[in-house]
Amino acid sequence: MTGQEQRTGGYTENIVVAETDLTLIGRFRDEPAPLLPILHAFHNRDGFIGSEAIEAIAKELRIPLADLYGTVTFYHHFARAEGGLQRPRVCTGPVCRQRGALEIVESLEGAEEMPCAGRCDDPVPLLIGHETFVVSAPLHTLQRRISSPLPVPNPGGREECVFAEIRAPERDSLDGYRRSGGYDALTQAVQGQSPTDVIDVLKESKLAGRGGAGFPTGMKWQFVREAPGEPKSIVCNADEGEPGCFKDRALMDHDPFAVIEGMTLAGYATGADRGFLYLRYEYPETNTRLEEAISAAEEAGLLGENILGSGFTFRLYLRRGAGAYICGEEGSLLNSLEGKHPFPRNRPPFPTTHGFENLPTAVNNVETLCAVPQILRRGAEWYQKLGLGDHAGTKLISLSGDVQRPGNYEVPFGLPLRTLLHDWAGGPLPGRSFQAASMAGLSGGFLASEALESVTLDEPSIRGAGSMLGAGGVIVFDDSRDIVDAARQAMAFFAHESCGKCFPCRIGTQRLLERLSGGGPGELDAWRREISDIGDVLELSACGLGVAAGFVSDSLLRNFPEQVEAFRG
Amino acid sequence: MAAVQHVSIREFGWLCSPSLSGEVSQPQLQQIMASVNQSQQQPKITLDGEQMEFSPGETVYEVATRAGKTVPTLCYDPRLEAFGSCRLCVVEVAGQRTPVASCTTQAEDGMEVTTASAKVEGLRRTLLELVASENREVAVDALRGVASQELGTLVEQYDAGCGRFAGAQSGASRPDDPNPFILRDYDLCISCYRCVRVCAEQEGDYAISIANRGFATQITVEFGGHLQDSACTFCGQCVQTCPTGALADKKALRFAGDGTLNGGS
Ligand SMILES: Cc1cc2nc3c(=O)[nH]c(=O)nc-3n(C[C@H](O)[C@H](O)[C@H](O)COP(=O)(O)O)c2cc1C
Ligand code: SF4
Ligand code: SF4
Ligand code: FES
Repeated sequence: MTGQEQRTGGYTENIVVAETDLTLIGRFRDEPAPLLPILHAFHNRDGFIGSEAIEAIAKELRIPLADLYGTVTFYHHFARAEGGLQRPRVCTGPVCRQRGALEIVESLEGAEEMPCAGRCDDPVPLLIGHETFVVSAPLHTLQRRISSPLPVPNPGGREECVFAEIRAPERDSLDGYRRSGGYDALTQAVQGQSPTDVIDVLKESKLAGRGGAGFPTGMKWQFVREAPGEPKSIVCNADEGEPGCFKDRALMDHDPFAVIEGMTLAGYATGADRGFLYLRYEYPETNTRLEEAISAAEEAGLLGENILGSGFTFRLYLRRGAGAYICGEEGSLLNSLEGKHPFPRNRPPFPTTHGFENLPTAVNNVETLCAVPQILRRGAEWYQKLGLGDHAGTKLISLSGDVQRPGNYEVPFGLPLRTLLHDWAGGPLPGRSFQAASMAGLSGGFLASEALESVTLDEPSIRGAGSMLGAGGVIVFDDSRDIVDAARQAMAFFAHESCGKCFPCRIGTQRLLERLSGGGPGELDAWRREISDIGDVLELSACGLGVAAGFVSDSLLRNFPEQVEAFRG
Repeated sequence: MAAVQHVSIREFGWLCSPSLSGEVSQPQLQQIMASVNQSQQQPKITLDGEQMEFSPGETVYEVATRAGKTVPTLCYDPRLEAFGSCRLCVVEVAGQRTPVASCTTQAEDGMEVTTASAKVEGLRRTLLELVASENREVAVDALRGVASQELGTLVEQYDAGCGRFAGAQSGASRPDDPNPFILRDYDLCISCYRCVRVCAEQEGDYAISIANRGFATQITVEFGGHLQDSACTFCGQCVQTCPTGALADKKALRFAGDGTLNGGS
């Protein structure tokens, strides 16, 4: 901007937008949630997002220029410098660090670090443009990696729900999906069940949110159904930014139609006629698969207008994030979709009444949505009984780190963690023993080895041990690891991802990072007091990210006092 | 630079705008109480042991303020939509494990609220110590702006300036910005975004915004430029709401202080 332009408030009026730019913008401007796909279109075409692109988009979408500039800088995968899209970005998340990610960064010219890319069950990944590569040591040759590991059959012989059909032949094609029971649930619903019937089955099944917060799904859908205002929306939360979580990626890669069918059923049950699938940036191959699957479903009359001849309409829009863990938090996600600065929203009101564009919206995790068709096919009672004891249903656990067989496992709620770690995943590496595991990805902080032997995989048990199950990521650290350094890395993640809205998290995560990196008072007690005082105010944070950061530092002080003393000694 | 011509008019508006304090005068309070008493159906909350009636839609903070309680805030400005970011206004609500931000919590019938328990006061002190730790200084010249003493006063009141939590500083000042009206001394910024919100919500100018995330957030105009090249009309609303003096009235400082970034304090 030269200052000569005419401005009405922050809106840019008389910039001349090039014809080619208008075409790019025109592809999406009449769709709902147009900003992200338009930004990606420029990012892809130019290899970065230049100032002219921001000016053109601001003008055409009528977004204040300063605001759009700020919003673009919020997302760490949008390159602002020429050539940025092609820079290699190596995953240096907690598990990839265990596997030499830093050496890879050093060995590759111009490489940058990126937070966990959701491939902790695969060799260290790196992104160049929109392609995922893995590096094979010691030659440092890059290999394209299109697919991701298919979950192994349940080693405990336990009956599964979301993984029940995932290994069926050609499950990822529409034909294969239909051959293995796919779209039975939707057909049955639109032909013979009322929306409230569907909601009743879900309520009875006790299915609850698998994205971390555990809100009962049937009740959420009922709230949306009963909320005034139209159009209503379904949002599939596929942001999966939590380090050590890669279950949603497995579902979308190998069972993409299950997510789509789940969303369509959500639309039918709630009365929503549009859906958004918000996919994290780091899954470009998954993005392609989902695009293909959505087109196939549309062509087969399973998405769009008059689905299965029933008169029910549901349109699905795929939206790709751009690198921001906080965009998995539902308020932030909705702001991101709407093209706003992606801060979390104050609650209440909740998305069920004031979601996308302030209209009723059901935000659900991928795993939650994938469970829905199975539950409707097999019945509420079947699902409930999959859990052990009083617990209903199953949970996907992404297990990674220092275990023999990392990967995604579907466990019944209530399964002893010990059974998963030792019997299913083969226990520690030869000659090693477990020292700690982080729960809920990193958000639950670290449990010490004794707790790993005693907790069961359900929220009450893990909460009782001072942690949480959350989205179900478990990262194992054996006795060769420096647990203080693991906590420092975790804090570096939270500080990097703090959105900057609220004071305790914005300042607290930075101060904790400095202290876990060796800073702060020299005297151990004063150092500890600063950390625990920050932990106390982190509980006041405006969203779960800040609260989680406090779990990390508090669990370090509480469960690993000797390691802490050795670090400060 | 057509915008600059508006300045004198806008500055006049700046002087005339309503009180910032959010406090209600005694006659006003009596008036409110009278209207409240007229209706017997009014829902009530218990505030520090005393019953307070409220109108549906009022926040706990609003009710508490009306009752004469002083709940500390930094991100709050009564003219703006409650934002809920400083967390200083937290209060204890019976049945809730953690204190809640009173500015974004609606009062509900039967709620039992404690506004200043020892626990909450301790948390507020820690928060203020954290805020003080990110800035070059907290005590600034009152000429910087009408709200500029808010942070310094609270830090003093809570004895939060004793240097705990020392570490990196946030925000980078813009001594390079040549505009003659607004000092952009972001070394003192605490990212409350009152300036950004007042510019959008009150002025409709949308001239300033937030770049980056977390501790790296920075108040900015597009492309990190200067105010005069942006949509800024120099209305001064941002200076008026800034609780730290990070935004300051250059003219006031020029006449009364030395007008440099570090001066006048
Ligand atoms: C910092 C933060 C990050 C989150 N990230 C995700 C995520 O990546 N995926 C997800 O499904 N839920 C995430 N959530 C939870 C969502 O806010 C929301 O509860 C969830 O998507 C609701 O879906 P569900 O009821 O099916 O679990 C996150 C929450 C917070 C506080
Ligand atoms: S807790 Fe952190 S991420 Fe969440 S709103 Fe506050 S600053 Fe943003
Ligand atoms: S400049 Fe002032 S008003 Fe703006 S965010 Fe910083 S401290 Fe708040
Ligand atoms: S005044 Fe409530 S959070 Fe700042």
